[in-house]
Amino acid sequence: MSLLELEREVAEFFYREAELLDSNGLEQWLELLTEDVKYEMPVRLTRERGQPDISSQMGHFSEDHRSLELRVKRLGTDFGWAENPLSRTRRFISNIRVENTSKLDEVKARSYFLLYRSRGSSTQVDLISGERQDLLRKLDGRWKLASRLIIVDQAVLGTRNLAIFL
Amino acid sequence: MKAEASRLNEKSLPVNGRRAQLMGLLRQDVRPNQGQIPAYIFSSPDVYELEMERIFPRCWLLVAHESEIPEPGDYVTRSLGQYPVIVVRGEDGKIRILLNVCRHRGMRVCRTDSGNGADFLCSYHGFNYKNTGELIGVPFEKDSYGGLDKSKYGLLEMKVDSYHGLIFGAAPGREESLNQFLGGMKWYLDLYVKRAKMTVTGPPQRWVVQSNWKLPAENFASDAYHVTNTHACMPSLGLFPNISYAKFGYHIHAGNGHGIGIGTGVPDSPSIWPEALLQQFEKNLSSEQFSILKTVKNAHATVFPNLSFLISSMIYEGQPIYHTTMRLWQPVGCDTIEVVSWVLVEKETPEEWKKKAQRAYIHTFGSSGMLEQDDTENWINVTENSRKVIQFAGVNFNYQMGLGRKPIDSFPGPGEVYECKFHEANARAFYQRWLDLLLRDEVDVST
Repeated sequence: MSLLELEREVAEFFYREAELLDSNGLEQWLELLTEDVKYEMPVRLTRERGQPDISSQMGHFSEDHRSLELRVKRLGTDFGWAENPLSRTRRFISNIRVENTSKLDEVKARSYFLLYRSRGSSTQVDLISGERQDLLRKLDGRWKLASRLIIVDQAVLGTRNLAIFL
Repeated sequence: MKAEASRLNEKSLPVNGRRAQLMGLLRQDVRPNQGQIPAYIFSSPDVYELEMERIFPRCWLLVAHESEIPEPGDYVTRSLGQYPVIVVRGEDGKIRILLNVCRHRGMRVCRTDSGNGADFLCSYHGFNYKNTGELIGVPFEKDSYGGLDKSKYGLLEMKVDSYHGLIFGAAPGREESLNQFLGGMKWYLDLYVKRAKMTVTGPPQRWVVQSNWKLPAENFASDAYHVTNTHACMPSLGLFPNISYAKFGYHIHAGNGHGIGIGTGVPDSPSIWPEALLQQFEKNLSSEQFSILKTVKNAHATVFPNLSFLISSMIYEGQPIYHTTMRLWQPVGCDTIEVVSWVLVEKETPEEWKKKAQRAYIHTFGSSGMLEQDDTENWINVTENSRKVIQFAGVNFNYQMGLGRKPIDSFPGPGEVYECKFHEANARAFYQRWLDLLLRDEVDVST
């Protein structure tokens, strides 16, 4: 497959994923993850130039398939207040860069995201932006997310909670 | 800013008459002993201004944990009430809380969250301060000042004291010691920070919530009742045995507005603590404290005004797991807080265990936590509602739960202790302390 075709497939994967997350398709979203998925979102820091500003010690998310499944299941109970009613969200994915790995069925993909979140009647909206560093694996002819590192751009998150996925 | 646009009243600096009117209203409307708290205290900019003047500068406030700055030169920047401060371990090994304000023109001399350095160089005109606060360099000193008595212009220092790793600061001139301020609460704080040598797992999570600061503070001090509904999803996910477990235990006002709820869980439920840790705890605590800690399934507490702690346990991935979190509800406006939330772990435990505890925290509490998600939703909506009801118009919230119930005297710890955690005595005590401080006219000794 040419790099162009690969890029096209990866972009389609991300758009499909964003569509599911933006339209309460959480259970279908889980199906896009490999069984051994890793899903991490480290805390971002304000440090001296040249010092690491991504915490290796603390995260906003530190997930595997089981915990993501639990989160999705919880939101679907009668007591998932944080996202019932749902936030209106829109995920914009761009700046996609794809890189082959030593394995034929795996690619690295980096992308930028901008998430818009609106709740209730408030006209104040939350914007979360960042980069996602992903590993995608092809299983039975379909791409799945095997690992995601979310590099958020805020040291202090400007949203009430992460009852949503990035 | 939302806080700006949402103000109900024309905002003006409270002139004397207006201030007197507000104090009169508070005296009349805030009646903790009767379980009556007016809605407006959760969003009024005038009340907030009074709090910033009379609550925060009159309390010892947590700024950091010692394990965040273990080496000489290590620092973190934080807020002490409204003051921007640097909490730094000087080259002499001593911890100081320095006002992050250049003595020349008020610039922040340190603009990062954390790091290590011998000095702080102001970016504006280049005043340079040692990590002990001393002014050591003024550019072109002879040409500019013709000599400046640098010994008079060190960074201003706040009072500092610590309790088993917790670093507290207070405004200079405050006479009450940390020991007096914490009072009976020390007995209970020990369950969190003295049971073993504790350490933070890393930097805190930080996020902004459009809530008044008092709502989460009172929730952690007092509110086991909300667990049965706000967190009702937990039993169905198999994380808690059943939801009535929230009522078992003790509801304790430790004095000075400090409150704790000790959950002992469903009677005869197994201990949450690994055997190896129990041995450490037994060594570090009194036998009375240890007898209580052994039975703990969860413990939520607030050190007045805005420092909270939580031990929470659950069945997670088939195994019992607990974690300990410490957080500040840092006010940044009448309807906005920054949550600063750390995970505390026992230092002498395997790395694997620490990681597990941190993961249990991330999954259930903190910015993405499955339980805390719902808490923030509540606090935001209460804050918004308190703003929408007509200010000063007699809308009150009900804080009457447990009024008239008698405290027990068989509990080994200090304070006013109630059995059954469905109680609001701690919230009433929190607001009584709050009211006492707001109404007290005292001449604050300034620097």
